[in-house]
Amino acid sequence: MRKFLFVFLLTLLTAMPAAAQKINLDFPELAERAEEEVEITLDASMLRMAGKFFSGHDADERAVRDMINGLSGIYVRSYQFGSDWEYDRNLFKRVKAQLGATWKPFVNVRSKTKDNVVIMADMRGDKITGLVIIASEPREFTIVNIDGPIDIERLSSLEGEFGIPHITKERDRD
Amino acid sequence: MNLEHDLRRALRRESPAPGFANRVLERIERAPERNLMVQQPPRPVWWRAAAASATFALLLGGLATYKLVEYRRGVEAKEKVLAAMQIAGEKVRLAQQEVREIGSQH
Repeated sequence: MRKFLFVFLLTLLTAMPAAAQKINLDFPELAERAEEEVEITLDASMLRMAGKFFSGHDADERAVRDMINGLSGIYVRSYQFGSDWEYDRNLFKRVKAQLGATWKPFVNVRSKTKDNVVIMADMRGDKITGLVIIASEPREFTIVNIDGPIDIERLSSLEGEFGIPHITKERDRD
Repeated sequence: MNLEHDLRRALRRESPAPGFANRVLERIERAPERNLMVQQPPRPVWWRAAAASATFALLLGGLATYKLVEYRRGVEAKEKVLAAMQIAGEKVRLAQQEVREIGSQH
């Protein structure tokens, strides 16, 4: 009986950090207010399945396949609103509060009136083993969580390929 | 001598009990279905071939359906990956753009 309890507790303790790393990206109040919502949930098995459908002969497709290879999950929540700042801007803090001590701010762009972008990276030594991107724009709030090793430079260079359009935002800087 | 005596005794002819033959004939008459089943002719070969073909076709159909479902799920997963990468890439570029703009202002 003691041995069983010991094994049970050990299993529980080893499972706890993994469970703790799970980031909650779902905010029902956002989905209720949003005019448009994009929700993408890709776990490891879905990523493996998707990887089989990227051609190994095409360099661009190979790049994506290599990028998703080794990832444990990609989670995206993006909400678009009808009017400016229709959502709680403190959501930034609620997402950041869930991240552990290994998460470091990679990029932090803050503005009281315009776009805010925070990129947090889960640093294990020199390696990035996870990424959270929180983009807060007047009419859009987006959270991306990439679970696993990822190259940010390669990620940003993907835009414009495979029919992914280049998005050039009109800036209205004073 | 005892052995010879024992053998004779064991192998001696004995008459059945009275009415034995009649009882046997009655029992045969009482089980006509059983006799018919035994006498039924074997099923033709084409019937077995048809059953095997139907099973094979079912298996092939099941496999094809499974492959189709897996293909659709794979294509859907690929599209989701591309959409997720598009959004993630766009936000990283937005951050880079903001950082560049802030840098150029200073």
